[in-house]
Amino acid sequence: MKRTAIGTLAALASMAVLTVAMLPVRGSLSIATTALVLVVPVVIGVVVGGFAAGVISVIAGFLVYDFFFIPPYLTLLVGRAQNWVAAIVYVAVMLPVARVVAAMKASRARESRQATELRELFALSGLLLADKPVDELLAAVVTTVADVFGARQVAVLLPQAGRLAVAASAGDPLTGEQLSQVLPPPGSLAQVGAQPQVSGDVLVHALAAAGRPVGLLVLSPGSAVQSDREPLSLFANQVALAVERAQLREQVLQTRLTAEMARLARTLVAAVSHDLRKPLARIKASSSTLADEEVEISPEASQSLAKMIDAEADRLADLVQNLLDMSRIQAGVLEPRRALVSVHEVVTSVLADLEPSLRGHELDLALDEGLPPVDVDRTLIARVLTNIVDNAVRHAPKDTPITVAASAGAPGTVLVSVADHGPGISPERRDEVFGLLARRDDDAGAGLGLSIARTFVEAHGQRIWVEDAPDGGARFCFTLPATQDAEAEEDSWVGSGSHRR
Amino acid sequence: MAQVLIVDDDPDLLGVCRVGLDALGHQVRTAETASDGLSETAISRPEVVVLDLGLPDLDGVEVCRRIRTWSDVPIVVLSADGTEDRKVEALEAGADDYITKPFGMRELSARLRVAVRHRAAAGSESATELQVGLLHLDLVHYQATYAGRELDLTAREFEFLSYLARHAGKVCTRRMILENVWGPGYASELNYLKVYAYRIRRKLGDEQGQFLQSDPSVGYRLAVPGEAS
Repeated sequence: MKRTAIGTLAALASMAVLTVAMLPVRGSLSIATTALVLVVPVVIGVVVGGFAAGVISVIAGFLVYDFFFIPPYLTLLVGRAQNWVAAIVYVAVMLPVARVVAAMKASRARESRQATELRELFALSGLLLADKPVDELLAAVVTTVADVFGARQVAVLLPQAGRLAVAASAGDPLTGEQLSQVLPPPGSLAQVGAQPQVSGDVLVHALAAAGRPVGLLVLSPGSAVQSDREPLSLFANQVALAVERAQLREQVLQTRLTAEMARLARTLVAAVSHDLRKPLARIKASSSTLADEEVEISPEASQSLAKMIDAEADRLADLVQNLLDMSRIQAGVLEPRRALVSVHEVVTSVLADLEPSLRGHELDLALDEGLPPVDVDRTLIARVLTNIVDNAVRHAPKDTPITVAASAGAPGTVLVSVADHGPGISPERRDEVFGLLARRDDDAGAGLGLSIARTFVEAHGQRIWVEDAPDGGARFCFTLPATQDAEAEEDSWVGSGSHRR
Repeated sequence: MAQVLIVDDDPDLLGVCRVGLDALGHQVRTAETASDGLSETAISRPEVVVLDLGLPDLDGVEVCRRIRTWSDVPIVVLSADGTEDRKVEALEAGADDYITKPFGMRELSARLRVAVRHRAAAGSESATELQVGLLHLDLVHYQATYAGRELDLTAREFEFLSYLARHAGKVCTRRMILENVWGPGYASELNYLKVYAYRIRRKLGDEQGQFLQSDPSVGYRLAVPGEAS
């Protein structure tokens, strides 16, 4: 409608201009010439506004022609027979012209739209081949459909948890009312016909792949595709195939993932049971000796057995703690509970706890003064440090010192490092040691400790790595997020402190 | 009571065993690696060797095999695996018994004593008669009595029982029994064993399997009365 109005206006405007231009010289112009000139606005009207605008232009043209250019002027009377002929020929010629021009224009428009659809379909099939994740794919599909069909709202509905839900949409989101119109009763997706259905102002097209319904394509206003059902079906088929393909692919991935998890779980169980058995063997050997009334052993020996049991029980407790941490990570509930703490305080308290299990290793502390407070989950970071120091204790030769250092790292971070005098780690294994179940050759235990350390550090958005220590051995380093401006923080501390008081 | 060599890579466990076995009257030597264990076995000639299967330098089963090439010292295998395959492997490589970690000190001690005693008794390989607890076997006439009562055994049943009696106290793996009693082609006929063991137990009046003991998925042994196992 809007196009017709614009076309009519354009025709009338050009007609007015031409009429005004011809009026002063109308005496010297032949009636045929005038008629020829008045063809121009009609063609303009048809080209711009289509056939309807053309018809209006023809009528307007006829009136103008008769009124201004056929004597007697300024009346609708037609004088001579010759003038009658001119007027009738004008109308008789102009109407078919308008029709032909309008048809040409419409077919050009259709061709160009088909070309666009073809291009978009082509682009879409390229997208399907590109193996994109299904979300990305659907987003591209709805945008394309909205563009091609000029729809205000487009949505793809896929079954989620047994019900159809909007998986992707372009334009305005569907209203609840529209959704209730569209959604088939629960469980009856199969009953949605293959043919598009219009209900209210929305058009629903079933998505079916290999005869199996996979979802719905919903479009509003439905009138946007009144004449364009076929290309829409083409799109719908492509989308259905893509959705099915992506779903199958995700199923495959899921299956592989499950298999991989199961394999990992078996390895983990084997490694963990080995780790559990070692301390258990020591405890059982000691406790069965102590508990045997017929066995007489010296007080010193029984003391050493009791100590052994105590130490091994601690070891088991640590192992269980690590397993709990691990399950916390795997359950995906690891969210650091951050607070500002002093690096000095964390390091010294962790090391104090570790003191009994250092097995003759001496700890060298190299903590820089004036480090900013770090914003971390104290429990997690304490475990990181514990696991790394524990690793050093287990791998470095007896009686060699272990150096724990803290210094300012890259801007906004504090660098903590633990260096030992052990065999070190070859460059190609440096990534591996942080993997689940990684272990050095001389150690049969489950390599949970470093893997947990990495997970915890990364949960803070920080980095952990291992390098050669300057005087041989391995140096494990990790960064902690420091407060950006130590002094400002200091001030705000004071502020909040005085608040509390 | 016995001179014991324990080979295990866990020095702490060795320490505890030394204290415990010492108190139970054994003389204990220890080795932390397979190579130390092998040379210690050769030099100090222990009466029994306790051997961990998970040694750092050489697999325990291989250690068993090597010791067997030059010594028939009883070997009790210490396995942390809990997997039957490893035990069977070790027994077939020449081990006499196995014990799974974690173990009690008294159990270890008892197994050591049994192993030592059987080795002492096994010298009579070419004997024509065997006595295991209440069981008496006349190998020449294929006659068996249990607690003085004559047993009506088929030839195969008698051979089964006499094979176990020759290795009394020692766990015989299913393959060892099948190959020696039935022949090399029968190593996988595990059902034979179940059926024969069942019949023999019935004839012995040992339905509970206290004398003819089975070690699930490993093998069988004849228990020597009066010894914990």
